[in-house]
Amino acid sequence: MKKHALALLLALLLLLAPALSAGCAPDGGDGETSPTPDEAGQTPAGSVEGAAEKDKIVIGGVRSQSGVYALFDETAFGPIYRMWAGEVNADGGIYVEEYGKKLPVELIIYDDKSEMDTMTRLYEKLILEDKVDLLLPPVSTAALFAAAQIANQHDYLLIGAEGAAVSIKENIESYPGFFCTLNFSDTQVPALTEVLTEGGIESAFIVYIEDLHGMEYSQAAVPAFEAAGIEIKGNVSVPPDIGDMTPIINSAKNSGAQAFLMFAYPDQNFLAVSQAKELGYNPDVFFIGSGGSFDSCKLALGGDEGVEGIMTWGAWNEKSSDAAAEFAERFREFNAGDDTVFADWWGHLPYYVSVQVLQQAIERAGTLDNKVLREYIAENKFDTVMGEAWFENHMLAAECYLGNVGQWQNGVYEVIDVGGNRTAEPVIPKSAWK
Amino acid sequence: MGNPGLRLDMKKSVPFAIVAAALAAVAFLPRFASAYSVVFCSSVIMYAALSLSYAMFSGPTGYVSLATAAFFGVGIYTSAFFGKSLPLPALMIAGGVFSSVIAFAVGAITLRLRGVYFTIFTFGLVELLKHFVLWTETTFAGTRGRTVASFGSVTVFYCMLALLTALLLAAFLLRRSRVGKALSAIGESEDAAAHIGINTTAVKLLAFSLSSFAMGAAGAVMATRWAYIDPGIAFNSLMSFMPALMAIFGGTDRLLGPVAGAIVFAALEEQLITRFPSLYMIIFGAIMIAAILFMPSGVTGLIRRRPAKRKEDVPVGDS
Amino acid sequence: MLLTVLNVVVGGLIMGGIYALISMGLSMQYGVARILNVSHGEFIMLGAFFTWALHTAAGINPLLCVAICAPPIFLLGFALHRTIYKRLRDVTRVSGLFEGNAMLVSFGLMFVIKNIALMRWGSSPKGYSFMAYSVEFGGAVFSANRLLVLAFAVCVSAAFYVFLNRSRLGKAIRAASQDAQAAALFGIKINRVMAICFGIGALLAGIAGVLLSMIYQINTAMGMNYTIIAIIVVVLGGLGSIPGSLIGGFALGLIGSVVAYIEPSLQLVAYYVIIMALLLVRPKGILGR
Repeated sequence: MKKHALALLLALLLLLAPALSAGCAPDGGDGETSPTPDEAGQTPAGSVEGAAEKDKIVIGGVRSQSGVYALFDETAFGPIYRMWAGEVNADGGIYVEEYGKKLPVELIIYDDKSEMDTMTRLYEKLILEDKVDLLLPPVSTAALFAAAQIANQHDYLLIGAEGAAVSIKENIESYPGFFCTLNFSDTQVPALTEVLTEGGIESAFIVYIEDLHGMEYSQAAVPAFEAAGIEIKGNVSVPPDIGDMTPIINSAKNSGAQAFLMFAYPDQNFLAVSQAKELGYNPDVFFIGSGGSFDSCKLALGGDEGVEGIMTWGAWNEKSSDAAAEFAERFREFNAGDDTVFADWWGHLPYYVSVQVLQQAIERAGTLDNKVLREYIAENKFDTVMGEAWFENHMLAAECYLGNVGQWQNGVYEVIDVGGNRTAEPVIPKSAWK
Repeated sequence: MGNPGLRLDMKKSVPFAIVAAALAAVAFLPRFASAYSVVFCSSVIMYAALSLSYAMFSGPTGYVSLATAAFFGVGIYTSAFFGKSLPLPALMIAGGVFSSVIAFAVGAITLRLRGVYFTIFTFGLVELLKHFVLWTETTFAGTRGRTVASFGSVTVFYCMLALLTALLLAAFLLRRSRVGKALSAIGESEDAAAHIGINTTAVKLLAFSLSSFAMGAAGAVMATRWAYIDPGIAFNSLMSFMPALMAIFGGTDRLLGPVAGAIVFAALEEQLITRFPSLYMIIFGAIMIAAILFMPSGVTGLIRRRPAKRKEDVPVGDS
Repeated sequence: MLLTVLNVVVGGLIMGGIYALISMGLSMQYGVARILNVSHGEFIMLGAFFTWALHTAAGINPLLCVAICAPPIFLLGFALHRTIYKRLRDVTRVSGLFEGNAMLVSFGLMFVIKNIALMRWGSSPKGYSFMAYSVEFGGAVFSANRLLVLAFAVCVSAAFYVFLNRSRLGKAIRAASQDAQAAALFGIKINRVMAICFGIGALLAGIAGVLLSMIYQINTAMGMNYTIIAIIVVVLGGLGSIPGSLIGGFALGLIGSVVAYIEPSLQLVAYYVIIMALLLVRPKGILGR
């Protein structure tokens, strides 16, 4: 018998594996019988289940809480959905007409370790096993593309947060339940070009990270700049793990370009800033991409003085509108005492809009049926912290944004777009590094 | 009956039958279990297939290969390129063939390296392929990622199960074959193996490309579940480390060791990651350390201890 | 032209110094204790975060942090070997098995240390500025802090080399790395020597972390990248050979610098091509035996 113990053990394990995976399910008999057979086929759970027993809205998301994208859950969308859920529950929940009462929100958040197989599998778990009512988006562009497809297969609605890019527009028709609230190169690059032209910039040196994000911004910026008469003195790609920017900074310096632009992620962007300081490179415009709009970048770059004059993508601040000021205040209160959470002057407002849209759509359409909700969202306008907000072709309309380009001035993140959104005049040329 | 040969065969066929019965039972999973357990089991089978194919080559020879992610990634890209024009089983075979061809070419130049040097080389292969694909995609296709056609989770599950079954059979037959014996001889002493007339290069090359077939096939199937891939996702070095860890954890000197390791690892991770998302790494790490300290010859080592046959049968610690 | 050469060479030496420093510790741990310590990078991360915390909270000079951080990190490494790896050696009597299991254990350690750091410091990048000005020589411009790091890396390496060759303990370590059995016969307390070696490896990683925090923004996920570079350098130089690690580190730094000058995005590819090519020509590394 001992000889066969291994085979027996294995057989046992094989059979036990599904049971192990299902161990988390609240009740034993998961999925075997669906309570009300529904003629519409695979409707998301919750829409038809007995109204009497429905006592909460379960919202699930797979977020990168460890691994390379953990930074974004920690500082970008992460604090927003938690704050929103807290606020909703403090208010007694969301009123859903089909159940005739306010339902509190329960979040189920899994960690995908910033890894694809885990991410896709756990979304299936949320949908098939936890039978969540609504989904929250994952972190990063690639993950969002994949999650959009899974959500689509199960007719779930998914409003994107960090990531996604203009290139998703090509496929947007195939994902009727996918919406995006963050602004990207298609609105930001034209705004930046206007700011540069207004500031008398005639030449630029571009560095971009060799991935979808960097390539997209570089490919948008080069023609836009050239059309505006800004000469491109360099357009260089860097790998994510670049360890020394000295040669690039030096060649930017030698090119005599008035503006230095770095379209990359926090690690590379911050390295560029600190090496530019060390090497005494102080062009008229110093622009960095993702990460520059986080308050936490002061931790990495030496406080208010350390970030002075740096321009980044964004943008909003407390002067943008009363609603924005009030939102910023609530955010500060909610996160008081947590030294890992900081404001993000690019994404926090659009992220909050995404959960507000969700909430208002439920309240006004009176249902948790994702198919109904997605039609409602596509066709209606919402009252949000950004003012009136609506979607055009599944992307938030360009007019909704409170700004696209920002600059750090005396420790405050100012919106410097040309036009009505501006909260402060841009400082071009920027002052010397301190 | 006094026929010892027949008795032996019958005795041997018992574990065989048990495994076959278990696999057959698993095949009915989509009928009686929840939809998610089918999805989860596909992942478990993926890990089992990867660690088993890792152990097929690395187990007997002692050559630790970290190229798993490279061949897995080749399979993924096979699906990304041809997913919209071929059925899933065909993609599986195509992914396996491409992987084997690459493994053969790589093996031909690298298999004279030994120990950690071989390990590093195979690890480099993953990074190299990642950057090469990235460069060709951005230069010639003007893109970075690709969407992959989807076939549904039940199809994925059956393809993976078929792959695992075929792989178990192949691994079983390989161990019995002359090639398998030669691989073990190489593991014990490569020089001695060469002396007694084994063509060590040919044997290693054969096993290396054979094992990479399953890796490529697994990649081709799993990619269809991911919907969107890019070089960073396809060539993720975690996919090299995890199967190796699972195989060592399960015990590489037994046929079913890697499979057991993969199931235990994957189930443990699933539980931790969904229940304690912020603490799972600590718990996972601690369990891993404790498991190694208290069962150093792997999960399967618990069942039956037998004297390890290794090339360096020398006690390490005397002081 | 000359200026470019100077730029590229000094830039390469600076990266090389860092690479050499982070790989010496790993080489030591593998060469003597037979542990391919995958959690090596986590000790670098710890050194960097201790320095950041001490500098930003208490205003302590980062250079002083080398002295402050060294003893606790050494003790941590020493204690880890005494508790975990010693037991592992006792339960696995077969050396091939020991190496595999030791690697698994260090994977476990990596997860544990990383998670603790993540809980304490979160995942956003941290940094401070130290000697953030440029130094000019021969018309080329360099960051002062990077030159300091280079000088420090060379000093630490030299001191370490002298320690191994001149001191009694150093000689015992070298003896143990060549043949643990024989060294034990000569009365060397193998377990203690190995624990010390593991501690020294952790200590060198910690010092590297202190230095890295002066020139980079740091985050809690930074460890793995450095572990990989360290493994590459160690293999390039020859396993267990300290001078090999030095040469390997500088070689890799210089090559990287040249490639980065021509085409920055190919730097990593170049590393792997070179290593693969070198391994094919010299399968045991530059100074491998």
